[in-house]
Amino acid sequence: MGARRYVLRKVLQAALTLFFVLTANFFMFRVMPGDPIAMLARSQRLDEEAIAEQQASYGLDKPLPQQYVFYLQQTLRGELGLSFRNARPVWDEIAARVWPTVMLVGIGTILSSAIGVWVGTKGGWNRGSRFDTSTLYGSLVLYSMPEGWLGMLLMLVFAGWLGWFPAGGYETGGMSGFARVIDVANHLVLPCVTLTLGYVGSYAIVMRSSLLEVMREGFVLTARAKGVPDRLVLRRHAGPNAFLPTFTLIFLSFGFVLGGAIIVETVFSWPGIGLLTYEAINTRDYPTIQAIFLLTSAMVIVFNLAADVTYGYLDPRVREA
Amino acid sequence: MKARWLRVVAIAALVVTALSTVARAQDSEPSGEDTTVLRIGTTADLNSDNPWAVVAGSDWVVATSEYDMMLKFDSEDLSPAPSLAEGCEPSEDYMTWTCTLREGLLWSDGEPLTSEDVAFSYRFVIDHRIPQYKSYFAFDPVFETPDERTLIWKAEKPTFALDMPPWGYIVPEHVWAQYDGEDLRTIKSVENTPTVASGPFTLTDWQQGRSWTMTRNPNYWGETPVVDEIQFRLYTNQEAMVTALKNGEIDFADGIKPSLLGSIEGNENITVQQTVSDWWLNFAFNFGGQSPDADALPAIHDHTLREAVAMAIDKQDIVDKAYLGTATTGDTLIRPASAFWHLDIPAEEEYPYDPAAANALLDDAGYADSDGDGVREDPATGDPLVFDVPASTDTAGAVEAGQLIVGELREIGIEVNLLPVNDAKMNDYWGTGNWDAYIWYWSGDPDPNYQLFVFSSEQCGSWSDGCWKNPEFDALYEEQRGIMDRNERQQVVLDAQQVAYEDIPGLVLAYPSTLQAYRNDRFTNWTPHPGENGYLLPSYNYDSLVSITPVGGTTAASSSSGLPAWIWIAGVVVLGGIVLVAMRGGRKRADEEA
Amino acid sequence: MAAVDTTSMSPRRLAWTRRRRALAGHWATYRRNSQGMVGLSILTFFLLVAILGPLLVDASLLDPSQATGVPFSPPSLTYPLGTDNFGRSVLALLVEGARISLLVGFTATIGAMAIGATVGIAAGYFGGTRIDAVLNALTNWFLVIPWLVLAIALATILGPTLLNVIVVIAITSWASTARLVRAQALTVRERTYVERAKALGAGHGRIVTTHILPNVFPVIFANTVLTVALSILSETTLSILGLGDPTAISWGRIIEASFNAGALTAGYWWWLIPPGIAIVLVTLSFTMCGYALDEILNPKLRER
Repeated sequence: MGARRYVLRKVLQAALTLFFVLTANFFMFRVMPGDPIAMLARSQRLDEEAIAEQQASYGLDKPLPQQYVFYLQQTLRGELGLSFRNARPVWDEIAARVWPTVMLVGIGTILSSAIGVWVGTKGGWNRGSRFDTSTLYGSLVLYSMPEGWLGMLLMLVFAGWLGWFPAGGYETGGMSGFARVIDVANHLVLPCVTLTLGYVGSYAIVMRSSLLEVMREGFVLTARAKGVPDRLVLRRHAGPNAFLPTFTLIFLSFGFVLGGAIIVETVFSWPGIGLLTYEAINTRDYPTIQAIFLLTSAMVIVFNLAADVTYGYLDPRVREA
Repeated sequence: MKARWLRVVAIAALVVTALSTVARAQDSEPSGEDTTVLRIGTTADLNSDNPWAVVAGSDWVVATSEYDMMLKFDSEDLSPAPSLAEGCEPSEDYMTWTCTLREGLLWSDGEPLTSEDVAFSYRFVIDHRIPQYKSYFAFDPVFETPDERTLIWKAEKPTFALDMPPWGYIVPEHVWAQYDGEDLRTIKSVENTPTVASGPFTLTDWQQGRSWTMTRNPNYWGETPVVDEIQFRLYTNQEAMVTALKNGEIDFADGIKPSLLGSIEGNENITVQQTVSDWWLNFAFNFGGQSPDADALPAIHDHTLREAVAMAIDKQDIVDKAYLGTATTGDTLIRPASAFWHLDIPAEEEYPYDPAAANALLDDAGYADSDGDGVREDPATGDPLVFDVPASTDTAGAVEAGQLIVGELREIGIEVNLLPVNDAKMNDYWGTGNWDAYIWYWSGDPDPNYQLFVFSSEQCGSWSDGCWKNPEFDALYEEQRGIMDRNERQQVVLDAQQVAYEDIPGLVLAYPSTLQAYRNDRFTNWTPHPGENGYLLPSYNYDSLVSITPVGGTTAASSSSGLPAWIWIAGVVVLGGIVLVAMRGGRKRADEEA
Repeated sequence: MAAVDTTSMSPRRLAWTRRRRALAGHWATYRRNSQGMVGLSILTFFLLVAILGPLLVDASLLDPSQATGVPFSPPSLTYPLGTDNFGRSVLALLVEGARISLLVGFTATIGAMAIGATVGIAAGYFGGTRIDAVLNALTNWFLVIPWLVLAIALATILGPTLLNVIVVIAITSWASTARLVRAQALTVRERTYVERAKALGAGHGRIVTTHILPNVFPVIFANTVLTVALSILSETTLSILGLGDPTAISWGRIIEASFNAGALTAGYWWWLIPPGIAIVLVTLSFTMCGYALDEILNPKLRER
């Protein structure tokens, strides 16, 4: 089928999934036992009257279908509601925490994919070499490590024993200008390294195996037979083709990377979306949880869509499927 | 080839030197020399800057630091002391109280603070039924302001409201009047930074989720504080906070868990304050009746069983293992921080930790283990004594105490299903009554009324833990409500605690302390409240913030741990250089060979 | 191998004999794979520890109220791996942890496999129809939501018990298996013998059990081994976040307890590091076995 039809079909699928996500999000949290308002009763001295009032003000006393419709209207208008915890707009809460996560996940992804691709390429191209075997096993070991524990280990060694880096947090506080940038960078090192190490292994392995597969393909053998230098074969032929599945993987593993961000942020007290998610869920802050679910699912869907479309553009065979 | 590399290295070195000189210059700039800044680290986030929306933790610290009340909680024992009001006098029938405000009171924005503001604030609480404070305004009081300095509080029944004293922040009418009549959610979402208040400091900056700053109020009516600025920094994990304290990045760490004491011990620059407790760990029995689903073992109604449980639980072990020694064993309902009202049962009259005696009690009462499985059965029903015990994971030490109790009750033939759940689930259990005992907490007020109230019979299905009903206790509770004389009332309150202790509606397992640590080489002259083992930061009053003085001059500039600036710059430049050269070099080679 | 007289066997016995021979052949191939053998031996060690656990470690060593050691003490002769916050031996906790962690890993995987295989086979078998579309949409939803976010939400709803942790992991892990199985089932469906069976009037159930299932099984099996590894890692992550069962001692819970007690700043390395190493070893061994199995069951990859 033509490129346009392919893209259109993918976009439609994405939209449908998104709608399903919206609906499922809403109902899933309404099913949660444990009233978010009543839960604060003991600590906030809310008696029955106060609880009823609060519920009414959040529209929780209306029947479920009505709440659902209201939720859809609000969401499509871009209004994500007020947090239960402090009656502030959810959007503000999320916006305040987005940047730390973007920094962490962004730099972590760039580093892990760059290093992973390089390691995987070199290993796969020189298959069986010492570099290959050692990095392969290294990747396996890293892949088998629980990310949270890895973070703790790094913090124990580099912050606890050696004191080279701070033991968590975003900044020391009270700094400004260039000094503050350096301060934040120092706080970013350990969590970023943890996140990178968590994924570099799998990227390396995937790059390696897809390179090995591509190397067996006809056009590579042809190029080699023609006497084209190895380096050129790698850069012009094998590399780009092998990179494709890795590229897709990087996009598709966004969901996992976000999960990784949650645990890394928790261990290092990095004030990002991951930590906000965890806090919101524990305090039954429905509007915040819903908004985060929605946004992260939307991002994953968009990334998947981007991966599909790009893949389809780069590899026409896929469009026929 | 080599020449190209050399050129790159040379340029890189120049850039590095230039930038790092700039960076080092910035690093060594001292922060404002003439401002005295107190830096407080905490793990309790500020949820709201709005006094009507205070939820927990830091909200109270901020609100109590910036807003005054008519009478404050005295630092010695939390009894009423003059604040905005010089004094409040009751009428003979205690139905009318007349308060006189100080002269010349001003808000931080310069507007005069009058009795109108007080009356407005109180009416605001009552009209909008603000949950955190409305219990202090019993018997539908009305307020009159005959002149700017006089407030008259008229209640429909005799009241000691002003003796509690009433926890009601006085807010500026000219700021809040526009929200009068709105619904509570709107009121609570009003942004209140910078704050207009009357206390020694006001909130001037709030970086949500990171830090908030309070600045000295030049119009404060009392003694001028030495501290100019207070910076609160949020840490989401305590390890980082304690490390920051040790590094000198903060001057005060509010609320440390006991296990971190080990890393501070022996550090002569850090003093740890183990405060008197204002809450207690509660092992409550369920007597059933909250709802149709309420289901508890009937044996719980047997006092002998409860007494045996009391003797089987080792409270000292809980203190040692669940709180690492930073608590005292519990006895009565009123927390020790309310020292005037707290009943201390003498050691020889307490239920001893004596599993053998507990076993004997149960044997004699007929709770035999007929099938030899290690669990006794209830002779009345034949059912084994298996307790479902939810424990709150959000309450410090509750689950650990539960784990200890499981083993201890097994020794006397009672099996415990420990169910650790978060407070949302605990709330469900509380409401349905489908449990046998649970481990939670009570916090209470400086005034004992509320704590006794939640144990009265009529609170079954509402505030009561397990619907314990004791007519003698109820009578004493009602009696103390009506006694206006403090000393007279004290005796009745002590009696009520004695009755509760003997009837065992539950067990007060422990009074856990809060741990606050500070750099003794930075600030001194703290005012703990209540008493010398009290809290150093505003929990009930802000006296500490006014009294502290820096030790020897101003505070030092903060420095970051980690790689210094020049390494970062060098690293980035070198990396960039490598990438550039590799890309250009590689392409050139490929073109040559193609 | 001794020759077997196959001339007089029933078709079913023939099939089983063939399978048995294939199995023996697989094992021979597996034995030659050093990676797989290393993995298998490590795994066997931990399985033994887990199974013999209750014999090696008396329950009293795990009871907080009976702990006699000094809390937070470093390794010594009596406590080779030191003690925890209650004064219990970390070594004893580690042994018990093997039992719980492996139990959770296996059970959650069985659950995930059961759901994933069922959905995958059904979707693949009815490929192209509305059933497939619905099941596919369902699978996609579970794949789209970041697994940890969903896991946290479910864990908070259900509450922190061991069973709930297993359920949560199963629910968040089945989707990737389903997708794999569906793809495989689709291919199998196209094969001629299935067409023939349909033409002969075989019902859905018959076709699935006799044709689809055996051919999908190798994919499921290899995937299972890798999923166990992931399940153990998932349980660790959930425990570290405080969503595990506080009364169950898994390796993840030991890490969580040490972290919350300040092991990082106080330097209680004996409490924090060993459980992590155990997890790495077990996960690594499962992964190595999984790769080795993959080579056997997917021969075209054997060249690697």
